[in-house]
Amino acid sequence: MDLKYLIKTIQSVAKNYRSNSGKKVISSLLKTCVVGSFLSIGLNTANAAEKKMVFIQFQPHTVSLAWSKGIEEVLSVQDDIDYQLLDGQGKVDVQINLMNTVINQGVDTIFIQPVDSVAISPAIKKAKRKGIVVITLNINATAKHAAHIEMNHYFGARQIAKVMGEKMGGVGKVAILNAPPGIIIRDQRTNGFIDGMKEYHPNIKIIANQVADWSRKKAQDVFSTMLIANPGISGVYGINDSMALGAVDVAKAKGLLDQIVIFGNDGERDALESIERGELSGTQYTDVYQQGRYAASIASVLATGNVDADDIKEQGHLLMPYIIATKETVADIKIEQRW
Amino acid sequence: MWLLKNIPNRELILFFVITSLIFSLFSSTFRSAGNVENILIGFSHLGILAIGQALPILMRGIDLSVGSILALVGMVMFDCYIIFHMPGYVVLPIAIAVGTMAGVINGILITRFRIQPFITTLATMAAYRGLTYAISGRQLVPESATQAIDDNLLGLFDEFSGIFPYSFFLLLIVLAAAQYILSRTRIGLDLYSIGGNPEAARLCGIKVDKMIIISYGFSGFCAALAAIVMVSRMTTSTENLGIGIELTAITAAVIGGISLQGGIGNAIGPVIGAFLMGVILVGLTLTGISTYAQPVITGVILIAAVSYDRYKYYKLRSKNSAGESA
Repeated sequence: MDLKYLIKTIQSVAKNYRSNSGKKVISSLLKTCVVGSFLSIGLNTANAAEKKMVFIQFQPHTVSLAWSKGIEEVLSVQDDIDYQLLDGQGKVDVQINLMNTVINQGVDTIFIQPVDSVAISPAIKKAKRKGIVVITLNINATAKHAAHIEMNHYFGARQIAKVMGEKMGGVGKVAILNAPPGIIIRDQRTNGFIDGMKEYHPNIKIIANQVADWSRKKAQDVFSTMLIANPGISGVYGINDSMALGAVDVAKAKGLLDQIVIFGNDGERDALESIERGELSGTQYTDVYQQGRYAASIASVLATGNVDADDIKEQGHLLMPYIIATKETVADIKIEQRW
Repeated sequence: MWLLKNIPNRELILFFVITSLIFSLFSSTFRSAGNVENILIGFSHLGILAIGQALPILMRGIDLSVGSILALVGMVMFDCYIIFHMPGYVVLPIAIAVGTMAGVINGILITRFRIQPFITTLATMAAYRGLTYAISGRQLVPESATQAIDDNLLGLFDEFSGIFPYSFFLLLIVLAAAQYILSRTRIGLDLYSIGGNPEAARLCGIKVDKMIIISYGFSGFCAALAAIVMVSRMTTSTENLGIGIELTAITAAVIGGISLQGGIGNAIGPVIGAFLMGVILVGLTLTGISTYAQPVITGVILIAAVSYDRYKYYKLRSKNSAGESA
């Protein structure tokens, strides 16, 4: 309704402008001001009882859109909660500005996947002082807040190492396609994988660990070079699915698909389909719709119960359940769970 | 009427006021004092960057490396404080020196090797970013990544005096200095002459190369100040700080009436341009307009500003040539 009114106003101003009478423009602008301020005051009081929640995403991508869908599912059944998705553009300063804007707006809950754990902390502290509940997704913040909900990066990666080693018969050489440094997820997944290999399959050696920027295209280039340098590679772990699928592309082109065991992480739709085709060997699957639903459930319990952020003494920490999807288990993941 | 005609950037100011009015009508939060605080603290660094960007553009150049200089300076501050435990009053001059030096190097490359400013700063944009990764204390000493910069002096620009943040006062100082240099000093006069016609300026005996180095050095200096403000707000720095901010700064400068043809513009315009972009971003968020529509709207405003710039340029040129033939 607001938008329609705005467009109408602009149209009428433009019409007056065309008729080329400056006085008319000014008087119509004035009229707009008066009518508009009454209108917005009216709207504001009408919405006073409504709870408002926002999700400041890292930047638009499959995972955050699936989270948002899960969040919306839970919130949309409650009429009095207004939900908005915002774009952090992958930049810390944009996220900080958005945080300050919504804090000032007086929202009840902020969901956020921080671009940087330290940089977002002053803004999170400010939100807490104003009694706003902050829930982080996948990337934690150093300032204490209401809750952190993440995929089980460390233990999931350990489990991947176990299953992958079994598929390789307990021996061989493994390469890791990694993310750029500076994000905690990278360390958790890499450490989990290395520790898992040490514990379950001490005869498997990790011979290469290179950065492929989360990207399928980059992973193709990196893995091709790796194969030339180390011809005997029999296993690849991509710390996200895109990079693992990049390795699949290369192995397929070189006819090595049956000799190399390739695992990804996350469990996006493309990866699951690749497993069904018998190309990708496996991945850690997390239901990220469910992750969004959990976040929204916590938020609506706190908001409708009028729990203030100051009342929360300990930060909640929720690790998402997961399964290791392989050719044998992938059928268990239902169509509506795939993202 | 005469007075009205002589206000600089009057169309831009009018547009700014109308935009702010419209958002104020549709969002009660937008017209609150808290929001004014947010916009001032959130976009002062962009204003500083845009003033810095104005000088190279005035001389028909461009500085694409400001985002990387910003990251480099931020990382130097991080290293000095977190890794080497230097006090804030030592870190600040080092930061400013590093930024200014990075800018001066741009200027030297442009003048010595006669490379296009666009190409030179594109190259140093990559080089300074790479250097930032190379010196990153967050990667060399991984446990430092979660430590915050908690020095009182370095945190100053996240503080307020009344509703005005200290970063805004810093912006006003830079603005006053830049406007004074441009309108009242020999350096300013030379800058405009070179922007208007470099060859003629050279023949008049203006040291063009020296002026180019000064302008890129100033841009680097402004990037350092912006970095100080940002580090102050974030209490840390990251390797990818300021990616893409050079384009935002150039946009702000161009919206602010700095002509890409060189020689036209002042220091006030870019600041209004920067805050206009802030008002639009915050306003669209508060009125609940889809997050995907926001870049589109910013793009439309930029096109409008540049078209207007071309229009003014051609009008001025036809007026001048009419004067010559008469």
